[in-house]
Amino acid sequence: MTTDQAALAGTRPGEPEPGPVIATTALTRRFGGSIVALDELTVAVGPGITGLVGANGAGKSTLIKVLLGLLRPTSGGASVLGLDTVTDAEQIRGQTGYMPEHDCLPPDVTATEFVTHMARMSGIPPTAAKERAAESLRHVGLYEERYRQIGTYSTGMKQRVKLAQALAGDPRLLLLDEPTNGLDPAGRTAMLDLIARIGGEFGISVVVSSHLLGEIEQICDHLIAIDGGRLLRAATISSFTQASQVLAVEVDEGADLLAAELARRGLRPVAHERELLVRIDGDVTYDAVRDAVADLGLPLTRMEQRRHRVEEIFRSDGRAADVD
Amino acid sequence: MSTDTHPGPSGGTGADPVSAGVIHDIGYRAYDGPRVGRGRIAAALCWQSLRAAFGLGRGAKAKIVPVITFVIMCTPAVVNAVAIALSRSHDRVFDYDTYTNNLRVLVTMLFIAVQAPELVARDLRSRVLPLYFARPIRRRDYPAAKYAAFVLACLALIDIPVLLLYIGTIMQVHSGSQVWAQTRALVPGLLVGLMWSVLLAAIGLALASVSGRRAFSVGSVVIFLFLTWTLANVLTKIVEAPVRPGPVPAGPGAAVSTAAVPASAHLFGLISPYTVLDGVRQWLGGTDPGIVARPGGYGIAYGVMLLVFLGVSLAALFARYTSVSVA
Repeated sequence: MTTDQAALAGTRPGEPEPGPVIATTALTRRFGGSIVALDELTVAVGPGITGLVGANGAGKSTLIKVLLGLLRPTSGGASVLGLDTVTDAEQIRGQTGYMPEHDCLPPDVTATEFVTHMARMSGIPPTAAKERAAESLRHVGLYEERYRQIGTYSTGMKQRVKLAQALAGDPRLLLLDEPTNGLDPAGRTAMLDLIARIGGEFGISVVVSSHLLGEIEQICDHLIAIDGGRLLRAATISSFTQASQVLAVEVDEGADLLAAELARRGLRPVAHERELLVRIDGDVTYDAVRDAVADLGLPLTRMEQRRHRVEEIFRSDGRAADVD
Repeated sequence: MSTDTHPGPSGGTGADPVSAGVIHDIGYRAYDGPRVGRGRIAAALCWQSLRAAFGLGRGAKAKIVPVITFVIMCTPAVVNAVAIALSRSHDRVFDYDTYTNNLRVLVTMLFIAVQAPELVARDLRSRVLPLYFARPIRRRDYPAAKYAAFVLACLALIDIPVLLLYIGTIMQVHSGSQVWAQTRALVPGLLVGLMWSVLLAAIGLALASVSGRRAFSVGSVVIFLFLTWTLANVLTKIVEAPVRPGPVPAGPGAAVSTAAVPASAHLFGLISPYTVLDGVRQWLGGTDPGIVARPGGYGIAYGVMLLVFLGVSLAALFARYTSVSVA
């Protein structure tokens, strides 16, 4: 299928969008008089997988709800798939899959029944809804378990059902709100692999929110960082990852000595709470830290490659930013 | 997008090239078929809810109350059929429009208290509503579909036994004019069932949707319906006591002539949805004795009260879903 045909057909899923998938202009949403959840947010999101990172309460969920037309902007505007979120909300919701952050599954039905029902609620006729439910559950890795009641599932399986119900309506865009919440490390990796597959192989644009940058940076093409409802940074993934390659070193005592020693060895350590953060330039960095600790005879408590929490990376005047 | 079907090693068996490799990876397939609009989606939700009201598509436990209430409700119709067959008289044991009033009150009360939460409180409790609202239906489509489903469920519970009563009766009737007479009596009886369903479904869902906790949900329905029903009965009996000596056997107002009923008895009849429904039924020309005394000039008050109950319930139900959080 050529791009021209895609433009003509208009609604072909999986084809690259001609314009941005999501665009907001000075989008503001207040709750009550004083709480500003989104503050003059202007971003454009292209096709592919986009990470939406921010601390808890940064406005990620509010943004997703505005995009679905579930909340009206206080001022400014937003468009999804070229449709306005206020006037064309129903068309947007017909082409968008949503996976909420919280639990949203009835415990006393099977995954098959539930996902079939939710596919029908997306406008898919009965027979096709059954097929799509079976396929979606298979794509998320639920096989025989899908005939069991959801109440018997583990957290990881429930997250998969939540993703499957979003996928069942064959959306052009998926909005995933903290899909890795509550999962153990293995479950997180599996969920992220699945999202990467949906964004890549399935050709569905994905916006995935998280408060852990290190986690979603692995799978995203683009990242948008928001804090206090404001845009902190929007960029391609490479410019973000450089900033997050950080080694955290913690010693029981003599942190100052170590900092001086590391500086002498050409590293630029930054004190952060009880740790020293050092930018990683490959194995050399690890060797240098090891040698420095050994030479000084300091009790090393911890040495790990840090998965930065967003607020550390993006605090515009933050210490972590100095690592660069 | 890739729809590659991994041509790979499908050889060997060779006979059926399709069965060899389908399971592991047929890739993601987009849906190109037709999509239905808001109306059809709401209709699908209505149908699913109607089934749920009778425990269909749920476990065996969910079917207990619907089945028991339905069987109890049909008993008078069966008794009627047997009685007519044995006696060879052509007189129905029960009227179509009253059926068995007190039984019907208690059975619908049980059905609504248990099944209305099944329709609305479940979704509130499992927080599934944001998934509905993130789909191409509007906020009000959800309560509208649930209401339509529950009206149909109540209608089935009330009017199917009435139809059985009709069938049991006409099976022993041999002249066309008698069948016509039965049919003419049946139609108002079915309409009374519709009136009951429209009002009771609204009240039941409005009360059941106050809380996602099933116990609270069931409790609020039971407390409201049973309390108002008991209150209306007791108060009516108290004010009627001087008029007729001795205990009241059937219900308040049974065999009490209109002239002898004090005004306060009519007013107490406005307390409960059930007494209001019966007052309206008699006001519109239904048979007596009913649950309440023939309302006479108070008929209009019963009519207004019915609309008030209905209006308040529906307003509360729809308001519940415009305010429900999407978070």
